[in-house]
Amino acid sequence: MQSSYPDIPAGLVAHDLTDAAVELRVDPAIYPLQAVYGAAYIFIDRCYVFLDRPAADALRVTLTAKSGQADVGALRALIGEFANELISCAWRHQITQDNRVLLETVTLQAIAGAMGPPSLDDLASFDFSDQGFDDPLGIAMSWEEKHGKKPPPATTSEPTGDTTGDTTGNPTSGHGVEEPTP
Amino acid sequence: MSAATHAPMDLVAIRPQAGTQAFFRHRQVGEHVLVTNFEGNFLLLTQAEFTRYATGSVAPDSELFTRLSSANFLRASYDVRKAAEAVKARRGFLHAGPNLHILVVTLRCNETCIYCHASRANMDRVDTDMSKETAEKAVELALRSTSPFITIEFQGGEPLVNFAVVRHVCEYAGRRARELGKQLQFTMVSNFSLMDDEKLAFLVAHRVQLCTSIDGPEQLHNAQRKLPTMDAHQRAVHWIRKINQRYIDMGLDPTLYHVEALLTTTAASLPLWRQIVDTYVSLGCKALFLRPIDPFGFADRTRLRLEYPRSAYLEFYRNAVDYMLELNRQGVQILERYAGIFLTKILRGEDPNFLDLRSPAGAGIGQLAYNYDGKIFSCDEGRMLHEMGDSRFLLGDVRTSSYRDLVGHETVRAMVLASNLDGQPDCVNCTYQPYCGTISTFNYKNQGSIFGRMRESSVCAVHKGIQDYLFEKLAARDPHVLATFERWTTHRPREHFVQEPTSSPTTSAPPVQSPAEP
Repeated sequence: MQSSYPDIPAGLVAHDLTDAAVELRVDPAIYPLQAVYGAAYIFIDRCYVFLDRPAADALRVTLTAKSGQADVGALRALIGEFANELISCAWRHQITQDNRVLLETVTLQAIAGAMGPPSLDDLASFDFSDQGFDDPLGIAMSWEEKHGKKPPPATTSEPTGDTTGDTTGNPTSGHGVEEPTP
Repeated sequence: MSAATHAPMDLVAIRPQAGTQAFFRHRQVGEHVLVTNFEGNFLLLTQAEFTRYATGSVAPDSELFTRLSSANFLRASYDVRKAAEAVKARRGFLHAGPNLHILVVTLRCNETCIYCHASRANMDRVDTDMSKETAEKAVELALRSTSPFITIEFQGGEPLVNFAVVRHVCEYAGRRARELGKQLQFTMVSNFSLMDDEKLAFLVAHRVQLCTSIDGPEQLHNAQRKLPTMDAHQRAVHWIRKINQRYIDMGLDPTLYHVEALLTTTAASLPLWRQIVDTYVSLGCKALFLRPIDPFGFADRTRLRLEYPRSAYLEFYRNAVDYMLELNRQGVQILERYAGIFLTKILRGEDPNFLDLRSPAGAGIGQLAYNYDGKIFSCDEGRMLHEMGDSRFLLGDVRTSSYRDLVGHETVRAMVLASNLDGQPDCVNCTYQPYCGTISTFNYKNQGSIFGRMRESSVCAVHKGIQDYLFEKLAARDPHVLATFERWTTHRPREHFVQEPTSSPTTSAPPVQSPAEP
C-alpha cells in the first residue's frame, strides 16, 4: 500500500496496486456526510465503493476498480477526481442551503408551468390512496369521530373541581361535558 | 488569433470594501473589468473605475456613479422592482411547458457519419421505424403541452427513410392543432440525399422548415459524412439550392426563408474556419452555428480521432467569428448562432429560449424526445444515451404515460434543479451566470452526475471562452461590430412556417430558437 504522494499531505490517501484500490481519509468536520455520499455515489459505475469510520474524527473511502486492475496513474487520477467531486458536493450542499428559496421557487414555477392544472381525466385517474397523511390534531376528523356523540343535557357530568367553569361552551377546553376522544 | 493577454488584476492591492455596492460579480476581460449583477445588467469598467467601485469610493456627483446607479449596481439606490421585472423577463420560459417535440421517426440512415450522435441503424433495420399509431400518440402528448406554440421536429436516423410517417404526422398533427387552437410548426433535420421532387412538394406545401448538415467544404464533408457514392456534399448542396430557389419563387424573403444548415466541429474542421464560413455563405446560409462535437453516439467511440482541446476550439471560434464580422463589414450577412444567443441575453435582457443554454435548461420542461418505439425521453441526448445502453433519462411511453406524468417526472425535477445555475458551484460566482446554461445529460455522460463539475467541464470552458470574446468585442466599441451585434439580436419570426389554426390561441410565444437577423 503506497501512501506517500509529493502533492498530497501525508496520511490522507493510499493506493494498492494489487487490489487496484485507493483509500482516502476524509475529515467530517470539513466535509459534511451528505457530500461524501454524493461524491462516492458517482464512482459506483466503475468502482466498488466502501465507506467506514476508522476513527471518531475520520471517514475512510475505499474505491476498488471493478476491472480489477489499474496502474499508478489511473489510481492517482481516481484520488484526484474523488477529491474534486467531494469539494464540489460540499460546496453544492452549502449553496443549496443558502439559495434554497430561490431554487425551490424556480423549480416550482418550472414544473407547475409545464404541468398546468390537472384535467378532469387526470383527477378521475388520480390515486389518492398513496398520499401519506399525518393528522395528529384530528383536523380531518368529523366532530363525532373526534369527540364522540354528545350526551343529552340531563346527564351533564359533575364539575371536575374547577368551579370557575368555561362559559364559552368550548368542549375542548377541559371544562366541558365531554373528554376529547383519544 | 487568440485572446490578448493582460496582467491579472491585483485584488489584494485594491482592498475591496463592502458597503455601497449592490450584489455583483466581476471578471477581467482584456484591459477592462466586467461587472454583472443579479438581474443580468452589465458594465465594462476600467481598472481605475473598478477600484473606486470595489472600495466604495465613487464620488456621488461623478459620471461613474450615474452609470452604476442607472444599471442597479449601488445598494442605496437599488431598485428591487426593476430587478424583479428583469429577472421575470429573463425567465419568461418558466411558465410554459415543452414547445420542442422531437420525433425520431426511424433510426435507419443511408449516411455513415464518423461522429454520428443519433446511433443510426442500417437501412435494413425496418424494426426501427416509428409506426403511424405510435406517431399519433406522440402527437397527442405533444399537443397536451401547456406551451401555446408547439414545434414538432422530425429526426432520425434519416427521417426521409420513413416518409410515410412524416407525411401522416403533418396531416394528423395539423388537423389536431387546428381543433385544439394550438400554434404549430414542423421542422425536419435531413441529409437530403433521399429527397425527391414529390417529397419536397409535400414538405413545402405543409410548411415544413428544412435543416441539413454541412460540415464545410466538399472534401471535409464527404470525408466525415459518407455515402456509398461519396457525394453527400453534392447532394445536400443540390437540394439546398433548389429549396432556396423554391422559397424565392413563392415570394418569400430569402434572408428569412432558406435552408438552415448545422455544422459539427471536429479536429479536421479547426484549420478550415475560413473555408467553412465561405461554404456557408456560398450556399445562401445566413447563420452558422459553430457547435463543438458532442460525446454521444459514435462520437464517443471515435473521440480520440475527432476530439480536440477546448483551447483549440476557442481559437477556431475566434478566427471564424472575426472573419464573419469582417464579411459583415463588407456587406455579407452571416451570423454566428452561439453569439446571437448570448448577445440576445446580454444586450436585450431577453432569453431566446435556446434549450441547452438557459437556467434551468429545457430538458423535460422545454422539450421531449419520442423514440421510434414510443419511448419518451427528457431530451434528444437522453434518447441517445438510451441507445448507448443507459436509460437514465427515460420518462415514459406514448402508450401508457400521461402528459403530466412526463413533465412532472422525478427525473425532470432533478434535471431542473441540477441545471439551475443558482445551485451550481462556480456558476453562483461566475460573472456570466445571468447569460449561461448547463446540460445535465452532458454532465452525466462526462462527469458521472447530472450536476457535473463546471471547472472541469468542456462545455463551461466553451461558454466562458465565447463570452470572453463577445465582451472583448463590446469593450472595443468598434461601431461596425456593435451594429452587427445589434442586428444579430433582432429576431424576426418566420410566420410562413406556422401552421394556420382555425381558432386563435389565447397567448402567443416565440418559436424555439427563433432566428435572428444575419
